[in-house]
Amino acid sequence: MKITFSKIPVLTLLGLALFVSDRAQAQSTDGDTVNVGEVTITATGLTTSTRKTGYGVSQIKSKSIVSSGESGIIQAMTGKASNVQITRSTGDPGAGAYIQIRGQNTVTGSNQPLIVVDGVPVSNSSLGGGIDGVVQQSRLNDINPADIENIEILKGAAAAAIWGTRAANGVIMITTKKGKKGLSIEFNSQLAMDEVNREFEKQDKFGQGSAGKWAANVANSWGDKISNRTGTDELNTTGAYFEAADGTKIYPITKKGDKTIYNQANRDQVFRTGTTWNNNLSISSANEKGSIFFSVSDWDQKGVLNGNSDYRRTTGRLNFSYSANEKLTLSMKSTLAKIFSNRIQQGSNLNGLYLGYLRTPPDFDNRIFEGTYYNAAGVATFGAHRGYRRYMGDAVPTYNNPGWTLNNQVNTSDVVRFIVTPEASYKWNKNANLIARVGYDQSSDRRITYFPVRSAGSNATGTFGDAMITESELSLHLINQSTHKINENITLDATLGYLATDRNFYQIGGSALNFIIKDQDRFAFNNSTSENMTPFNSVSRILNNRVYGTFDFTMKDKIFLQLAAASERASTFADRFLSPSASLSYEFSKDVKIPGMSYGKLRASWGQVGIAPPAYIWGTNYVSAGSASGWGEIMDASYFGGSIYRSTTRGNPNIRPEMKRETEFGADLKFLDNRLSVGATYYMNNTKDIILAVAVPASTGYTNQWSNAAEMKNSGYELDVNFAAIKKDNLQWNIYGNIGSNKNEVVSLAGSKSIFLEGFTGTSSRAIEGQQMGALWGGKWLRDENDKLVLDANGFPQQAPEEGLLGDPNPTWRGAIGTNLTFKGLTLNVLFEACQGNQMWGGTYGIMNNFGVSMETANEVTLSADKAAQVKNARGTTVDQFATPNADGTYTVRGNLKDFGAGEVLLDQYWYTGLGGGFGPVGEQFIYDASWVRLRELSLSYQLPESVCKALHIPGASLGFTGRNLALWTNSPQLGVDPETNLTGVTNGRGLDYFNNPGTKSYIFSLSVKI
Amino acid sequence: MKKSLIIPLALGLTMFGLNSCQKDIDEINKENPNQFSDASGELMITGAQMANVLFQEGEAARMAGIFSGYFTGYDRQYVSYQSYKMTAGDFDNIWGTLYAEGIAQCRIVKEKATKGGNKTLYGVAAITEAHLLLTASSLFGDIPQSEACNDNILTPKYDKMSDIHQYCIDLLDEVIPNMAGSSAFGAAYVAGFDWAQVANTLKARALLRKKDYAGALAAAQNGVLEGQDLKADHSQETPGAWNLYYDFLDWNRTGYLSCDGAHIVSLIDTLSPTSRFNSKTDERARYEWYFLPDYATPLDPNMYGIFYATSNYDLVTYVENELIIAECHARLGDNSKALDHLNNVRSVNNNTYGGFDAYDLADFGPGQIEEGADQSAALLKEILEEKYVSLFGQIETFSDMRRTNNALGIPLNQGTTQHPARFLIPQSEINANSANVPATGKDLFSKLELF
Repeated sequence: MKITFSKIPVLTLLGLALFVSDRAQAQSTDGDTVNVGEVTITATGLTTSTRKTGYGVSQIKSKSIVSSGESGIIQAMTGKASNVQITRSTGDPGAGAYIQIRGQNTVTGSNQPLIVVDGVPVSNSSLGGGIDGVVQQSRLNDINPADIENIEILKGAAAAAIWGTRAANGVIMITTKKGKKGLSIEFNSQLAMDEVNREFEKQDKFGQGSAGKWAANVANSWGDKISNRTGTDELNTTGAYFEAADGTKIYPITKKGDKTIYNQANRDQVFRTGTTWNNNLSISSANEKGSIFFSVSDWDQKGVLNGNSDYRRTTGRLNFSYSANEKLTLSMKSTLAKIFSNRIQQGSNLNGLYLGYLRTPPDFDNRIFEGTYYNAAGVATFGAHRGYRRYMGDAVPTYNNPGWTLNNQVNTSDVVRFIVTPEASYKWNKNANLIARVGYDQSSDRRITYFPVRSAGSNATGTFGDAMITESELSLHLINQSTHKINENITLDATLGYLATDRNFYQIGGSALNFIIKDQDRFAFNNSTSENMTPFNSVSRILNNRVYGTFDFTMKDKIFLQLAAASERASTFADRFLSPSASLSYEFSKDVKIPGMSYGKLRASWGQVGIAPPAYIWGTNYVSAGSASGWGEIMDASYFGGSIYRSTTRGNPNIRPEMKRETEFGADLKFLDNRLSVGATYYMNNTKDIILAVAVPASTGYTNQWSNAAEMKNSGYELDVNFAAIKKDNLQWNIYGNIGSNKNEVVSLAGSKSIFLEGFTGTSSRAIEGQQMGALWGGKWLRDENDKLVLDANGFPQQAPEEGLLGDPNPTWRGAIGTNLTFKGLTLNVLFEACQGNQMWGGTYGIMNNFGVSMETANEVTLSADKAAQVKNARGTTVDQFATPNADGTYTVRGNLKDFGAGEVLLDQYWYTGLGGGFGPVGEQFIYDASWVRLRELSLSYQLPESVCKALHIPGASLGFTGRNLALWTNSPQLGVDPETNLTGVTNGRGLDYFNNPGTKSYIFSLSVKI
Repeated sequence: MKKSLIIPLALGLTMFGLNSCQKDIDEINKENPNQFSDASGELMITGAQMANVLFQEGEAARMAGIFSGYFTGYDRQYVSYQSYKMTAGDFDNIWGTLYAEGIAQCRIVKEKATKGGNKTLYGVAAITEAHLLLTASSLFGDIPQSEACNDNILTPKYDKMSDIHQYCIDLLDEVIPNMAGSSAFGAAYVAGFDWAQVANTLKARALLRKKDYAGALAAAQNGVLEGQDLKADHSQETPGAWNLYYDFLDWNRTGYLSCDGAHIVSLIDTLSPTSRFNSKTDERARYEWYFLPDYATPLDPNMYGIFYATSNYDLVTYVENELIIAECHARLGDNSKALDHLNNVRSVNNNTYGGFDAYDLADFGPGQIEEGADQSAALLKEILEEKYVSLFGQIETFSDMRRTNNALGIPLNQGTTQHPARFLIPQSEINANSANVPATGKDLFSKLELF
């Protein structure tokens, strides 16, 4: 077979962008973010000239998505568009990520943008996410990044208005590739290594125990000073013992003498170098009758956690279009993805990885985690679980051994996803075109949660969960586009559209406890008796349809007025919702010549969009009865023969969509023959009618009623800059950057002071009136009216009776700056990203203080005899009363001296395990500045010279290296985790760290060959 | 008109037509397919009873106990309770249990039972409602009743405490004839009680508060008999079913609530100079059942005795009923009958704990083992004191304390100057029903109408 190679190389490959078409080349000089590119995708999925848009749009090109080396599209977008904040949940392979465009807009509903792929809405759900469990994926990341041609982020209300009640959080428009002229076959292979990028430091001076004495099985490392030990461990070898699979025997310790520190060994048990092997093959072809793009890819990743942590995604895509004649074009875009992933338990969870790992004392060896326990009579317990809280494995340890968490527990996610988009386009007039497009997006996710017998806590007798989640969205989109010349100066581009969607969610599953067969891993409900099984299912369906029109007037080719309106109906609200918008832009550079300025446009826009109510809040439900007090006591009907009664939350058939209005102003300017381009936008928006279950007087018979009640606002600016410093044939040097800042305010919560979003009883992320969304809330120190600490008789601070505001997880600004240097076949890209002013609750650190494993707690101080008679600990005892003097009469004690305002006091075990630790009620002390700056990306690629390619009989080839997150700078050493994390995943609660799985950095090597 | 305009116009009209008529859009959200839109009264009544248990045994009982010398607030928010520093927000949850989970459900059940002609179910719902309302009114005074739990009224008015008591008495009178010998629909309670007896004792409580001693006596004479107490069922040892004091003391809120320095301890502790010990009374076994020495807090309510996980909780008992009868007789001048009923209770105590002999009338009076200005005063005081000790942890003795102008001389908590006279009307009412909330409802020390 003869293959004709195209003259125009295809756009890009996984790994690095090396084959850049002439047109794309021209655009790429605008950098990674393009504010003033030439063509923009509108909210209908059609293209328009960027000149005409009256609102700010960020574009991300294929090249920069693949060169990021990220498995997921969401993570690949980070740093590339102003005011688009991406926060990955953790560094777990395939972990989901949170997207926030221009701040939050609602309280308990979703703050995630709408995703539209090839003109049809698709799911980006990330179901699940709380203070424990596993990190879930984001469904957008199912799509192969190498299939993407272009991403356009419609941030404002005006840009997205036709999407009505789904557009309040912005819309991300994704266009996948289509075939290019000729035939091109490309193969790209990528090998990546991941490492943990930030770890907690653990002390290595003091052993397991309490009050300065070693003790086995106890929680804390407040034991003896390890260097003072003598001899070796004395063992009782006459009775019970534990035997590992390799024959190693562990005997009860009668006297601790061993000085070995196991911090490194325990660390190496937990982490490994993650590896990714990614292969992508694509075939692209087009002629005047049609085009075809085909790709298959396989992403096979093992995570940095040394156990059941992986992510494998296999995708296929076929996009084609065929013109039957000059008028009729038929096309289809389709993709299929199969994802299988293993995940590791994290968070506030006795079965979580970091909880067991970080609490482990420095003198305990975690490496043997399972084996057989023989009691003194020689009776064996097979499959025994050994951890530092039960070092003989004679009973289930209070916390899992990390080895058990990593290797014996199973948490899988098995996803099948497909999206098909058939489309017919008919040009019924030379100026008019009618498009009919159907979209169908379906995903199913089977999740298994398996805790074998002898897992810690409530899972000790075995727990198994199996659930299948199915989501689908069917959409029908009719669009008529026409151009009308109204007079010599004015033309009108009009679009009329109709879009109907049908979204379905179905979940079915069950859980089972108390396994019958205890020593075989079976993912089957029949390993539990019927009273230990709980089935569940739930279903939801939302119908929505809208008719819309957009009218773009072009006046004298320099003034552009866009008017749009959508009228929407949905099953979740009764009345029609209207979303009008208007935008105006003026290319003043056509009228006013400013020296050095080659292009100038001013723009202004206004729009109204919404957030639809959740399904099924019209009526008042009858629910399983259960009464609970605010203190934790409950009465549960299932113990009293069952009872169904009227819900205490009253439905509301008059519920309306939340309404967001936004105004923005901006300018797009180019200087120095278009070499310097600047896009700037200021916006302000306000969401009213935010839906809450508002507290009502219970004497009405209800405690809450669904109402349109709360209000929130945002304002901010964003700036995108690109400078082509050198623009020569062989040498191009670009500097680009963006910065964005958003100020959010929860204006009103309809009488509630604050609403809990995520977190703990002690510290939580909340919506609080007058604060930014997600503000951190919890226990504080007692202060007087001058904000000075009120100290107790011993000079220690005290807990305030009322909880209050602790901090703010929202950054004051976020920005990125990068440079791109191309010299002949060599391309270097460097991207720094910064996030500043955000705070985080370092829950992990607080608990490490409590357990005496943090570095801070291993300090020793030496006091003179006089001072030892004055300095008190948290129990009010002076040092000389409890410590033994040194030979010279001084006293050396474990702890830190601190002056809270009434003279120095000693922070020792009593302090850290009480008010001064993470189990204490004062969360205030663990709020840290979580600002960061990072070297997000460093990539270097080399395109083989034509002569070499010719010799190899290939049209082109390249080699590349990308480093991801190679350097990270932060302000708070206490946060031993990459602050780009969130305990509760993709939820509205932000800024919480509590034994989160760690973040990663990556080294990616790629090879790309064109056949 | 040009074709290029007609076609878009026609299309637009078609699209708008499609937008307007899609029947499913109007229908599918009306009912939640994952929940129910209705339930039978028989299914609902247990839920209302569970709310009643939580209301009688939960936070309200602990607060009343701190006000009446049963408990000491020892840690965290309970430290402020100890010095009577309460905010309106502290009562929101109690109010929600009372109305939304309790009274509202009872009233729906009554309606359903009426439609279904089920007089027993109606009676159970009515007695549960009266039980809730009587306790609530004793704590909060004037509260919404006539306009409460009505879907058409968003701001219910407040009814007078005396009117609420009369409403409850009438409600009980209405159903008592239908309830004799029945313990139907009582899944939240320990079997063996009789609804008619329970209703009569509740009625006696109401009349006693109104100081109608003859009426109270008449009602109590048909009240709860020995061995037929109404108790909350905590026989299952699991959260969600077990004793709510246990849950608070040992499971969820360790250390918050203590008995250290509480007045009741001084009455039955042998070491106390004011103890009730005398030649016929030995309280040592009852002391052991009530209290538990502890390391952190010097003396705890006994979470392994009276408040153990599987200890059932007394709601309406024979002991209370007998002491109502005894008090009424004493107040009506018949000391001899009063003594008989007091001795009935001492006999129960003797069977339960040991150490109680029957009193003679001669034991009461100046210089006798039960001291008093005269025989009648000494006897009445002992009846009230026995009730105070016997009903440890229950709310009703807080009513007695206020009704009798603190005849037992229960002392103030340290650092305070007056006894709380009521609970505060909750914040949720102040926020959204402020026009109806009586000003006195915002003052913890403002006396209630009947007390």
